[in-house]
Amino acid sequence: MTEQIDQALSKQYEAGFVSDIESETFESGLNEDIIRRISAMKEEPEWMLEWRLKAYQTFLEMDDPDWAHVNFPKIDFQKISYYSAPKSMKDKPKSLDEVDPELLRTYEKLGIPLYEQEMLAGVAVDAVFDSVSVVTTFREKLEEAGVIFCPISEAVHKYPDLIKKYIGSVVPRSDNYFAALNSAVFTDGSFVFIPKGVRCPMELSTYFRINEQNTGQFERTLIIAEEGSHVSYLEGCTAPQRDENQLHAAVVELVAMDNAKIKYSTVQNWYPGDEQGRGGIYNFVTKRGICHTNAHISWTQVETGSSITWKYPSCVLKGDNSVGEFYSVALTRGAQQADTGTKMIHLGKNTRSTIIAKGISAKNSNNAYRGLVQMGPKADNARNFTQCDSLLIGDKCGAHTFPYIESRNPSAIVEHEATTSKVSDEQLFLCQQRGLDPEKAVSMIVNGFCKEVFKELPMEFAVEAGKLLEISLEGSVG
Amino acid sequence: MSQWLEQVIAQAERQGAPVSWREADYASSLDALKNTPWPTRKTEAWRNTSLTPIEAKKLLSDGVSTASTQIPVIAQLDSIDIEFVNSTLVTDLAQFNLPAGVDIVALENISEQQASSFNTIKPEKHLFGLVNDALATAGVWVNVADDVEFHTPIRFIHHVQDGSENHTRILVNIGRNAKATIIEQGEGHVDSVNTSFSEYDVKAKGELHHYRFAMFTDKTLHAGGCHFKLAESSYLNSTLVGFGSALSRLDTDLIYTGEHANADINALYLLAEGENFDLQTTIEHAVPNCTTTENVRGIVGDKAKANFNGRIHIHRDAQKTLAELNNRNLLLSRRGQINTKPELEIYADDVKCAHGATIAEIDEQALYYLLSRGISRSQALILLNFGFIQELINDIPLTPVREWLTELLSGRFAKMEVK
Amino acid sequence: MLSINNLTAKVEDKTIIKGLNLEVKPGEVHAIMGPNGAGKSTLGYVLSGREGYEVEGGSATLNNNDLLDMDIEERAREGLFLAFQYPVEIPGVSNMEFMKESVNAIREQRGEDALSAAEFLKIAKDACKQVQLPLDFLKRGVNEGFSGGEKKRNEIMQMILLKPTLCILDESDSGLDVDALQVVANGVNSQRDANRSFIVVTHYQRLLDYIKPDFVHILADGKIVKSGDASLALEVEKEGYAFLGKGYEEANA
Repeated sequence: MTEQIDQALSKQYEAGFVSDIESETFESGLNEDIIRRISAMKEEPEWMLEWRLKAYQTFLEMDDPDWAHVNFPKIDFQKISYYSAPKSMKDKPKSLDEVDPELLRTYEKLGIPLYEQEMLAGVAVDAVFDSVSVVTTFREKLEEAGVIFCPISEAVHKYPDLIKKYIGSVVPRSDNYFAALNSAVFTDGSFVFIPKGVRCPMELSTYFRINEQNTGQFERTLIIAEEGSHVSYLEGCTAPQRDENQLHAAVVELVAMDNAKIKYSTVQNWYPGDEQGRGGIYNFVTKRGICHTNAHISWTQVETGSSITWKYPSCVLKGDNSVGEFYSVALTRGAQQADTGTKMIHLGKNTRSTIIAKGISAKNSNNAYRGLVQMGPKADNARNFTQCDSLLIGDKCGAHTFPYIESRNPSAIVEHEATTSKVSDEQLFLCQQRGLDPEKAVSMIVNGFCKEVFKELPMEFAVEAGKLLEISLEGSVG
Repeated sequence: MSQWLEQVIAQAERQGAPVSWREADYASSLDALKNTPWPTRKTEAWRNTSLTPIEAKKLLSDGVSTASTQIPVIAQLDSIDIEFVNSTLVTDLAQFNLPAGVDIVALENISEQQASSFNTIKPEKHLFGLVNDALATAGVWVNVADDVEFHTPIRFIHHVQDGSENHTRILVNIGRNAKATIIEQGEGHVDSVNTSFSEYDVKAKGELHHYRFAMFTDKTLHAGGCHFKLAESSYLNSTLVGFGSALSRLDTDLIYTGEHANADINALYLLAEGENFDLQTTIEHAVPNCTTTENVRGIVGDKAKANFNGRIHIHRDAQKTLAELNNRNLLLSRRGQINTKPELEIYADDVKCAHGATIAEIDEQALYYLLSRGISRSQALILLNFGFIQELINDIPLTPVREWLTELLSGRFAKMEVK
Repeated sequence: MLSINNLTAKVEDKTIIKGLNLEVKPGEVHAIMGPNGAGKSTLGYVLSGREGYEVEGGSATLNNNDLLDMDIEERAREGLFLAFQYPVEIPGVSNMEFMKESVNAIREQRGEDALSAAEFLKIAKDACKQVQLPLDFLKRGVNEGFSGGEKKRNEIMQMILLKPTLCILDESDSGLDVDALQVVANGVNSQRDANRSFIVVTHYQRLLDYIKPDFVHILADGKIVKSGDASLALEVEKEGYAFLGKGYEEANA
């Protein structure tokens, strides 16, 4: 049965097309001059440039991390282009009618129409193409509620005080190698501000697309939820099928003030590379949120793409009674490698965290959960529950669990459980005997395995995530 | 590199290999030692344990007596006792009346062939294992021939004296279908440095009952290891007990080389005052159809710090492996600290592996039950806390050891402050 | 002996006991019956002082001492014994060790000397035999791996050893077959005397065939709504809780 599964494991990546768009792309290379040029392209104020240059100095002093359970040749940062934007975006189109139709077609093909009347009701989208934001929909409607949702490059101009106050406040420039790189060269991303007491009237979503060859995407997202506000945010990502690896190093910072709630969902479907491991996105992402008193941050991620995934969406539970959650499905196949998990740092009293991580490995892939649960000396009565389950499909893949548990408080309780299982011949036989083809059977079993996580996604996306998993697994069974 | 390690290397170069069959191996260990960077907090294997207490130490080797001292008694235990003092074997091995098929010989007196598994079971990755390679001149070889069942426990006693260094080595061969019980007992609290490493080669259908008591406290620095190789259908039952000192570390490795072998490992640590104890276990499932059950429990009070790292590695094709690791901890004090990392690395799909780790408080329901029977809160907490480790002690097959340990641990526990 | 006056108590913001009155004199056996959710188990927990069960008003005294003012273990030492419906398992703590601690704590309160290990072993063995548990149950962890019936018998064994003045049996009959029921009942009956009182909480009349009550009370919605002699239990057995109104009948169907 395993052989049958293996034989038919052929890849299908639906978002692998290339858009024919004339772009302005920087020559490859990383140096101070490039950073100055990025800053100039964005017409940034001096303080932002200085901030970038300091980050670059930090980056130069750091070593690349080697602790993750992934293998890849050293990245040559001089071979990457750090800025690429469609030429048509240079004139800053005022409305969608002025945007290059080829760009709009790209998003349409990806199932993300940017005309508001065609969109999923109740979802505002920021579309980021290589290094620039193409359009942000429903802005007026959101402004009525006092919600700011715009490209971060625009926020640097319009809301300098907020940016100065919060950028790097959750993920400092020196946090890690890739965060330092991002801080130096970030190009675009989304900025969200929810004022005090406001429940954001619609889902916010950013769609990231890498198109240009040999470029990296370095976006930065900052979400600030003031006291008592609520927001649900979703990001999606795709890239064309290419033989070379491309680098994506993003930073996401969340600030949840007292009683605020942020729900952050990701469906990550970057190009995963081919069966032999050629091509694919190197996805090195730092995501972290800080929770003040009674605040709540929930991370949900469905990771199916990228040749290498290196990300640990985390919560710093600083305020008393704050809550952190991490729900993850990571699926690896072909030669994909994932090292993903979370950190829950309990500082305040009565803080709670839940971690549900589901890893599915197929073919020659490797899938690791890496997590840290830390109970600080003042985290009285803090609680954590962690459940890590691995599902192996075939006997050439790997599934790994590396949980770090550290407690310094006698009243804190930490519980960690991990199990591993396979799609058994008996399960397949039963499904087949009831008339299901094996592919459907596996997809059903996998979907069941992931149920606890899918139910955390906003409804529109839960369906999409299920389908995505189905496409990814297509041909994984014979 | 640390000042202490420089002296270790210098001394090793001065003295050379203790026996001719060790020459090649000695040179390669020394080489590895020179090329191993001194661990820092960034070194994953030493992430939570500081080597500061040993770093700047002077090698303590001169002028310490090697006279045998009072051997710690385990009541009712009829055992063959072998004692090391200050890196020296002080027991006359010829005195024992051993049955045919059982040999206990000093390492320097065995043949190259008899020593064939020396340093093949202990992985090279252990820094203090390399130190032991370089400095352990005294050692003992135990051989239990095929089909021989030896029921008398063989007990190794590591004595610690003020201002001494103790580096000792044990090599045990359990033949096909043979059976033996080995106890490694180390105690002491005075200023000293101790490394003791043991290797166990358990042949097909062999059975080993093993105990390691790393009961070093206070100023006694300790880094040791026990390493097992299990052949087809063999069985290991191992009990590890740790107290803590300024630096105490125990590395345990187990590799399965034959199918249908099983291991039951129970480990417990009970730490008070400012003690540190670091337990690292690695189980290598290199072949199919083997079963590991590992239970680790710890209680940490006062300013003590426990670190546990339990790794289970299922190699490609090690199908039908069953491996379970459970680590439970109680933290009794606000100043104490517990770090645990149960790791799974799995490359075979038809396996059943699970691990669990908890750091928790005493169960509220159990506490209420005891209180409702009139038992005072403080006494109830002692009963429940001690019951938590008593569960593992109860699994010990050797009755005198079980009783000795119950008394020893409850005495130690009674002195701890229970909140 | 026990005097409960207008007792009101809540669990997690929900008031369960709503102005309950009960007077138990030395040597009396009171049965408390009632539909599910009436507050039968809650009463035992409130009297024993379980955390999370908060007294809102009223009083309860045992031998003229304010019960509600005492810690859980003080109430036990005062002579209150609660036989649990679902006794908790405590692995690692042996039954023997647990009961010896308990017996000696209560003896100390009464100004008696602590029993030596040998003295205790003797009475424990006798009690163990009396409830027909194999002697190795003394060595096993408290309730660890015991069947439902064995746990109930273990509770009665503790009662025999602790010699309480007031015993509350919380559904000690649930899940027992007739033989086990008889063992439990015999254990209880052997302890009946002029100075010891019992509150037998049960859902069914069956247990009362074996433990004859002096009084039967019907507890509904947190109050005692009807009291009588043993015949009241038989009435309930036949008629159900219909007299309480339609809602109860359905809840109990």
